[in-house]
Amino acid sequence: MIIRSLHLRHGRLALPKSSTPSGTLRRRAFTTTPLLRQQQQQSNVHSHAKTLPSEIRDYNDPVAQDFAFFHHQKAHTQHVGSSLAPHYRSHELVADPPRPQDITLQLLMASQSHIGHATSLWHPANAKYIFGVRGEHDPIHIISPDITAAYLRRACKIIRGVTSRGGLVLFVGTREGQARAVVRAAELSKGCHLFTKWIAGSITNGQQILGACAKKVVDENDKPIPGFGDQLPQTAALKPDLVVCLNPLENYILLHECGLHNIPTIGIVDTDVNPTWLTYPIPANDDSQRCVQVICGALGRAGEEGQKMRLGRARQGVVVSMPSHGLNPPTEGQAERDLELEERARLAEAAIQEELMIESEAAAAEHARQRRSLPNPEAQDADFAELAALEDGVSVDTSMLDRSLKRDQSDDEYDLEEDIVQSYQHDQALSREELAEVPLTADTTGSGEASSESMDEASRRDERG
Amino acid sequence: MGRLNHAASRVHTQATQILNNTRHTYPPPWLATIQTTPPSSKLTRPVLKRAQKPGKRSSRIFTPVNLTYQEDKLRWEYFNDHPWELARPRVVLENDGRDRERWDWGIELDVSLNRPRRKTRDKRGRTEDDWEIIMDTQAARPLNGEAVIQRQQWLLTHTPLSSAAAYDQARKELYRVRHFQETEQRVAREEAQSVGAFFGLGPLEIGMQLEDKAYEDWKEWAIRETAALKQIQGSAYTGVGTEEAEDEMTPELGEGSAEELEVVKESIPSTQRGQRARGDAAIHP
Repeated sequence: MIIRSLHLRHGRLALPKSSTPSGTLRRRAFTTTPLLRQQQQQSNVHSHAKTLPSEIRDYNDPVAQDFAFFHHQKAHTQHVGSSLAPHYRSHELVADPPRPQDITLQLLMASQSHIGHATSLWHPANAKYIFGVRGEHDPIHIISPDITAAYLRRACKIIRGVTSRGGLVLFVGTREGQARAVVRAAELSKGCHLFTKWIAGSITNGQQILGACAKKVVDENDKPIPGFGDQLPQTAALKPDLVVCLNPLENYILLHECGLHNIPTIGIVDTDVNPTWLTYPIPANDDSQRCVQVICGALGRAGEEGQKMRLGRARQGVVVSMPSHGLNPPTEGQAERDLELEERARLAEAAIQEELMIESEAAAAEHARQRRSLPNPEAQDADFAELAALEDGVSVDTSMLDRSLKRDQSDDEYDLEEDIVQSYQHDQALSREELAEVPLTADTTGSGEASSESMDEASRRDERG
Repeated sequence: MGRLNHAASRVHTQATQILNNTRHTYPPPWLATIQTTPPSSKLTRPVLKRAQKPGKRSSRIFTPVNLTYQEDKLRWEYFNDHPWELARPRVVLENDGRDRERWDWGIELDVSLNRPRRKTRDKRGRTEDDWEIIMDTQAARPLNGEAVIQRQQWLLTHTPLSSAAAYDQARKELYRVRHFQETEQRVAREEAQSVGAFFGLGPLEIGMQLEDKAYEDWKEWAIRETAALKQIQGSAYTGVGTEEAEDEMTPELGEGSAEELEVVKESIPSTQRGQRARGDAAIHP
């Protein structure tokens, strides 16, 4: 007999299901895995009966009995089976990013942040971030994970400070697979994101390129203030107070513009990137999606912390920053006008939505009716008669239609030969004058003899004139 | 891009200057933060290596160090002896980067094959309960060439075995595991076939089919080339042909000439041997 041991893929262990749901890989102290035997001894399954409130304690009621049975079954079967040991799940890096406190050297190594490029491609300026060279035939540089951690923590401090003072952070990640991380980080830091190409001049020529951007004025608690509707169209788009760039090699122009406008920058610096382009470089692997998501996640969490601090202070009436926005105090009555415009826009939007909904409902009903294919003779006849009336004096006989409807209704009595004979007779019965009146176009197809004469007539006419 | 642009590092100085020299400006939100946490120095080169010769100055003191480990030598030896282990795919995905804390290379690689019998102790003194406890944590160990290296390294560090003995022990453990895996696969295939499963061609069969096809293609090419060569040779040789050409140049005759043909068959004028003289003069004067 062959005993097959259950080795799961990627070295995962199947553990007995525990009563408490397992947390994420990061949060659990993953020191020792629980032992099968011990767990079985420790977890005694007690079926604790759920008690009903005293007012309705009637145990003979069928609903009460079902309830009790359900809970009894749940208590006895919920520990059956196995659950997987905590393992890496890629979506967690975006859904629940690691905080700056959760960054460990082991996490960075597991995320392949230490893997640099081939030694021949390096930029000598970042020699001090490199731990060593690995490989005999195709050597690569290894980035020190402790240096990555230190620089990442410093960058997190910067973001936290900037966001706590009401600064606007722009997260930029234009490579494939960076969009989700960038959007999530911007969401957490209440900043802006960019995952498509940076249009050169967006900062230096912002009036032209970003002139049509929507702007709003908010108070210290992030509530919008009306009354600036006349000034906002004239103002330029806001420049970011901090830019985080996940792939500086492809976004040199963005970093150059930031330098021109004195905007500090944070970015991931691989072994082939020039570290002088950035104010706060983070030496790490920019080619690994997992590494980028870990770093971007930590920066996003730092921004979230800063925003929380700022809003907490604002609720107590403490405002630290005084941004220079260049706006004048609102003029008389502008606030009311702004609110009115907003209300109108909202109603218009609601009306459009309603119309769309009605249209879609009607389309759905029509579609459903067609699928069911219930013949509606009255409606069909009426439509057909209408169409006929619209056309140029050609009155169509609806007897064919009636015949076809009868055919649908009683398939047993249908006689193919009779149908053919009748349809031929019907075609023959169409008067020649009627056919001659019908204008000859490429689409008209007459049946055999009836139309041939009219075509000859037409050809004779053409020859003559 | 030869010139270096230090604007990114001078952000704070620039902002402070603008603030001091312009009226009615407020500091940007990042100014205080950057003041407390200034950016690191760039373009500084730490000395990473020391000059090999004491008096001399090496130009390579700023380049990173080549990292070498003891296991590299073991890897070199093992994968040179077992090159096909490199062909086996290896999963490099890690969960939390702490896998090496969990794998105990003191436990032999073929532990999963040696479960102790009920109520007995095996050679190492383990009961089946002990075996279960070990398997709870070590069952998910990757068993490949790298496992052999790690096992070998453990044996060298913790046992008095020589390097050759440690190598032998580690690789033989993996041999047992691979033997078991192959047997398991073969038996599983047979079991499946006995209940109706069928498999496609394996890689060896496909390889042989491709070779056969290549051989047939070559054969056809060779036939064509040979025919072409014969034709060239035949056209170059006017009148005097080879023995093979003899057969080609035999003229087609009518019926009844078979006997006559038999007589003169061996002597044909156009061949190299030429026509055999019959009834020659016996002596030349």
